[in-house]
Amino acid sequence: MKLRLKIVSGFLVMAIMLILAGIWSIYELNNIGVTAQNLIKENYQSIHAANTMLNALEGEDNGILFLLLGRWEEGRRLLSSSDSLFLSGFDVAKNNLTIPGEAAVVDSIRTRYAALKAIWEKPIVETYKERNIDWYFIEVHRAFQDAKSAVQALQILNNDTMYQTATVMENRANRAIMPGIIAMTAAVVLSLLFNFFINHYVVNPILRLNRGIRNHLDDHKPLEIEVETHDEIRELSNLILTLSARSARRD
Amino acid sequence: MRYHILYRYMGFILLLNALGLLVSALVSMVYQDEALTLLLYSAMVAGIFGIFPMIFVPSPKQISNNEGLIILVGSWLLSCLLGMLPYLLWGGEFTFTNAWFESVSGFTTTGSTILSDIESLPRGLLFWRALTHWLGGMGIIVLALSIMPAMGAGMKVLYQSEMSTLALDDFQNRTKSSVRILAKVYVGLTGLEVAALMFCGMDWFDALTHSFATIATGGFSTRNLSIASFDSVLIEVVIMFFMIVSGVHFAMLFAAISGQAKNLWRSPFFRYYLTALAIGILLSAVDLNIHKYSGFWEALRFGSFQLLSVGTSTGFASADSAIWSPFTQLLLIFFSLQCACAGSTSGGIKANRIVIMGKAFIRQMKQLQHPHAVIPFTIGRRTIDRDVFENSVLYVVLYITVVFIATLLLVATGTGFLEAFTGSVATMGNVGPGLGSIGSLGNFDGITTAGKWILSLTMLLGRLEIYALVMFFIPKHWKTYASF
Repeated sequence: MKLRLKIVSGFLVMAIMLILAGIWSIYELNNIGVTAQNLIKENYQSIHAANTMLNALEGEDNGILFLLLGRWEEGRRLLSSSDSLFLSGFDVAKNNLTIPGEAAVVDSIRTRYAALKAIWEKPIVETYKERNIDWYFIEVHRAFQDAKSAVQALQILNNDTMYQTATVMENRANRAIMPGIIAMTAAVVLSLLFNFFINHYVVNPILRLNRGIRNHLDDHKPLEIEVETHDEIRELSNLILTLSARSARRD
Repeated sequence: MRYHILYRYMGFILLLNALGLLVSALVSMVYQDEALTLLLYSAMVAGIFGIFPMIFVPSPKQISNNEGLIILVGSWLLSCLLGMLPYLLWGGEFTFTNAWFESVSGFTTTGSTILSDIESLPRGLLFWRALTHWLGGMGIIVLALSIMPAMGAGMKVLYQSEMSTLALDDFQNRTKSSVRILAKVYVGLTGLEVAALMFCGMDWFDALTHSFATIATGGFSTRNLSIASFDSVLIEVVIMFFMIVSGVHFAMLFAAISGQAKNLWRSPFFRYYLTALAIGILLSAVDLNIHKYSGFWEALRFGSFQLLSVGTSTGFASADSAIWSPFTQLLLIFFSLQCACAGSTSGGIKANRIVIMGKAFIRQMKQLQHPHAVIPFTIGRRTIDRDVFENSVLYVVLYITVVFIATLLLVATGTGFLEAFTGSVATMGNVGPGLGSIGSLGNFDGITTAGKWILSLTMLLGRLEIYALVMFFIPKHWKTYASF
């Protein structure tokens, strides 16, 4: 193989490795960005909606308790505002179905909330239900807990998915960094090897050529040049030997 | 020492690795899994390192014994190093130490794993994992020798280094054709087992990867519960058959296939190998029937598989031997130390050395009875040199010493005694599973980082039969080394 090709190919292989490592790292980093964005959009929104719904349910529970104590105005006001808050949270959750099984969980929230709402929509003040703790614990509290656990199920589902996605992101980050580290390490090792080969197959033969010619000229020793490779340096050494032989014949 | 020549030969081995990675990438493409890019990248890196010396270094006429040794050991180490790239790039459970451990375990055909969830890996990566066994099994060097054009004396040097020294005594063919014969037997057996396993109901991927692991006596499975996950007596019987066959001297297998089956049975080593396994299976079946399984056939099924797996240094599992009785566990430890015949892909002390020591003991008894008699040391119809006996004894002593030192170091680094001892035995013998948390259905992830490096070293020592690796790291010997 020709000398120029040897030297060029040495640099070329290092360049290819670094370029490919760079492309792959950029691809993986881009994926990390997309995954992080989806994480916020898909999971965090649902978790926030679940928190909103939980706060709303607590508010409704307080509202029912107000009604139980005969305080109709405060109770209804709280129930109305909590209901709006819950429905706003629920809207976000139902329009953000991204995880397998999430639709079933949202359906369950809808059903259980409807059951709870059916309880407080009917009159409470000035009925048998007013100041009736037994009624509260048997009907209201159970429906409240059912609705709350359905919302918590949504929260847990999204939390678990976030954790899994975070693990995937960690792996992706590792995969983004690793090719670069490997390429850099390989490039360092290759450059050391390249340096060794250039020394052994280019520099040393030239130095031997130099030494051989100098010994021949100064000390009249026979011209001895040893070149291992089959490239321009061997060609040069052969030409020098031929030149020396012709010169010797003329003499 | 002509380092550039060494690198050229090692470069060829790296190119083989690159080819293996490309094939794994192809599998990744077929299954459309996530390992495609990392396998292609690893293939590129291996290929670049492999092709680099070809650009500069002309093909040499011959290589010396010293150079042969360096090429052999260097190729193993480089293959292990480059073989860990796909694992590193995948991440997950593969830290740097874990990736090195898994790669060494693959190429040395040990089969010990750090993975707790094997099935979560993509198919391409699982294929590469199994392929490291297959490549390591016959020795990357020997395979390379069967492909490369005439290397003359160089081939003989490398062949002598790669095969167990005992196997050389048995093998009369010329080196180049010997290697081709071995390669044919190796590939042929793999093909037969793939066909047999597919006939038993395995899909092509599982059949191929498990065949790689069986013929190389490696033990990497693609399933978390190893062979136990298939729950098939037929599959277990097929694998048991091929494990036994893979534990036999490959040249003798070739001779048997070529119509000289009588020679196989005439070999005292082969007879001892089968007899020892049979006795071990019977003893374990009886013990398991008493202490573990209610039915004798159930005890025989699981006991025979596990004993064969360990006795051939394969390492597959069909049951959890960590919960078996101490008697059977001790049998497993014995067979982990002994393993199969020289000239196979098995590890361990080798059945041949046990036979030699046994014969030497009998001869010594006779000599004591008849002090003035001249009693030749024969095995079968061959007279054995004193050198062979002395080398066998020395090797066994060295082997036990290494196991002891490794156990000591592991305990010092915080590993429990059972795991330390059985881990050392299992890795030194290239068997795979030990007992306790590193049992047949366990893994080595719980071992400390330092412990994993120690066990990786014992795997390499076992695979390279101690001397080669030790000589590699003593530069003084590079200049004065003559021949094994």
